[in-house]
Amino acid sequence: MNPVNIKAIARKEFYHLMRDFRSMYLAFAIPLLLILMFGYALSLDVDSVRAVVVDHDKTELSRDFIRKLNASSYFEIIHHLNDSLSAVRYLDRGFTTMAIVIPPGWTKDLKADRKASLQVLLDGSDPNYAGISRGYITAFVESYNRDRLLSFLNRKGMEQIQAPVDGRIRVWFNEDLDSQNFIVPGIIAIIIMMVGALLTSLVIAREYENGTMETIRSLPVSGGEFLLGKAIPYFLITLTDVLVAVFMGQVLFGVMMKSSFWLMVLASTIYISVTLNLGLLISIATKSQLVANQMAILITFLPSFLLSNFVFPVGNMPKIFQILTYIIPATYFIDILNGIYLRGLGLAHLWPSYLVLVGMLIAMSNIGFALLKKEGM
Amino acid sequence: MSWLRIRELVRKEFIQLFRDKKNRPLLVIAPFVQLLVFGYVLSTDVRDVKVGVVDQSRTRESRMLMDALNANRIFRITYYANHPEELEEVLLKRKVDLALKIGPDFSELIRSGDSAPVQVLADGSMSNMASLRIAYTSLVLDRFNQSMITELYKRRLDYGKIDTRIRTWYNPNLDSRNFFVPGIVAVLIMILSLLLTSMAIIREKEAGTIEQLIVTPLRPIELILGKTIPYIIITQTLMIIVITFAIFWFSIPLKGNFFLLVAAACIFLLSTLGIGLFISTISATQQQAMMTVIFFILPFFMFSGFVFPIASMPTAIQWIAYLNPLRYFLVIIRGVFLKGVGMAVLWPQFLALMVLGLIVFTSAVKRFRKRLD
Repeated sequence: MNPVNIKAIARKEFYHLMRDFRSMYLAFAIPLLLILMFGYALSLDVDSVRAVVVDHDKTELSRDFIRKLNASSYFEIIHHLNDSLSAVRYLDRGFTTMAIVIPPGWTKDLKADRKASLQVLLDGSDPNYAGISRGYITAFVESYNRDRLLSFLNRKGMEQIQAPVDGRIRVWFNEDLDSQNFIVPGIIAIIIMMVGALLTSLVIAREYENGTMETIRSLPVSGGEFLLGKAIPYFLITLTDVLVAVFMGQVLFGVMMKSSFWLMVLASTIYISVTLNLGLLISIATKSQLVANQMAILITFLPSFLLSNFVFPVGNMPKIFQILTYIIPATYFIDILNGIYLRGLGLAHLWPSYLVLVGMLIAMSNIGFALLKKEGM
Repeated sequence: MSWLRIRELVRKEFIQLFRDKKNRPLLVIAPFVQLLVFGYVLSTDVRDVKVGVVDQSRTRESRMLMDALNANRIFRITYYANHPEELEEVLLKRKVDLALKIGPDFSELIRSGDSAPVQVLADGSMSNMASLRIAYTSLVLDRFNQSMITELYKRRLDYGKIDTRIRTWYNPNLDSRNFFVPGIVAVLIMILSLLLTSMAIIREKEAGTIEQLIVTPLRPIELILGKTIPYIIITQTLMIIVITFAIFWFSIPLKGNFFLLVAAACIFLLSTLGIGLFISTISATQQQAMMTVIFFILPFFMFSGFVFPIASMPTAIQWIAYLNPLRYFLVIIRGVFLKGVGMAVLWPQFLALMVLGLIVFTSAVKRFRKRLD
């Protein structure tokens, strides 16, 4: 490998980029824009459930219950309805996802120390949303019942009965349960994968289409120098994108790294190299910019989105798809980012994922060399 | 307007489309692969939660607690640690989702009528899943408490408590597949119709045959119709096949009227075909068109409520999302599939789709004609 050759190829590629200002601009701005937009907007949290209530009982106690419901940060009562039928209409139309119905005689049952049923109608279409809402209402009623139990015991003058088990639930790694903390790193991984492969998928195909590949073949440049030189300008662009995105993530969204910044840079360097290499491979194999472009999108975006443990847990997938997740580079990068951002892990824990990414990089480069050799370089 | 000329153009378009072998995978294989992959992979169900336990008490009570956890079908104790540090390490390495620490004095505390602390550590890295796991854990603990109290004090505490009866409608088992698979139909239609229409005109531009088309007696409106009708037919056919597949392969219940879906798809196509036309006017090459399509599809996809609920987005984005035709189509398609509702409920979505579609399509056509003249 001769650094002078690499520099020459890189400079040529850089001029190409600079001259086509629109592409340069797109290459830099679009990924950043997407990461920021999605990072800002996407969330799987349920802030507060917008519920409607039907109070058939209309007593002091039932009104108090509703007031408490509304005062808790988990619920927002958007309407008080008169009958269950209109609640059904609200659910059907998607105006609300939860209807809480207090049946007549509710207060009387409670006061007589009987079980008083509370009907909750839940729109289950979105299982994630519905599941979390269900958790909220169950927890709310549970704590309401606990208060009632205490006042019951006081009333009867009984000794306090302690709950035998006191579950002290603590959340680790993402203490506020904020989905942004895992969505922002995941989005970075996915967008970089797509953009990295997309950018380089064009560069060698372009030489073929313009017929300049012949010229390059006759130059005293080896395959490795050629690939490296081609990748360097894009590497710099993409790495800048990642760094700016990470910085913005901290400043704008408060997504903080718990472990070392340099570990993240190291991982990004390897990961970006993998994505650029993938694009180059596609470019050599297809020799057509359009086909390369389509291929790059096809094999990067959806697989990285779906099969990388980003929001869809691998454990839920059928076996065959679980196996597929092992060959997706984003899986390992997201694993590393998860370790760095949320768990505060170091190389001692994360080395297997680094190793796999390096392995992928080496394998891809070798395939690239082999393909170029077949082309006579 | 001459229907004959339109028909001939449509025929030409079909021949061209199917003659090119490169198009076959795009048209036939890709939709099915996507449907299958999406259908199997998209799932945010909380099931099979892996639990690690350190039981320093090793008594009947601690075993009862673990049994109570195991008896719940979503929890599975997969790791028994010997000391707390080991357990924390396992949680750190993502081998378990939940860690339970039972202290050495667990049983004594319970027997003496005190409260025995049980520390539960939850991996919060996927926060949406974590909050569900936590909710289920507290449910298990509450039930355990109830049965313990009955056992310890040999009596039932009959105080006036609220008994929540939650009935989940439309998707009673909270099955992710029922939510995602109908959505995939919408996403597939969007991707295909956008890609195909934008390419249809760019292809002529790139090949230089657009000039030939212009010098024929074909009028602009006929050109547009001839270029869009084939893709309406193709996407509708695909939609019908994909829906049939969804119903029979993934056994997604279709509660509503199938023809309502077809009607909604037709109106939805107004927007996507319009955007496709628009892209073909601003791009010179297929490649530019491809890129532009991608950057339309991504925000449409992300801000549609397909995966990420619109209600959880920031207000500014929620306002922007009103301009996204896909969101209305998703509401319709999910409404018809899961809720079985009809026009009486879905008319606002139909109206919004119609208005958006007409605006997008007519302005695209106007721009397109100006380009041709």
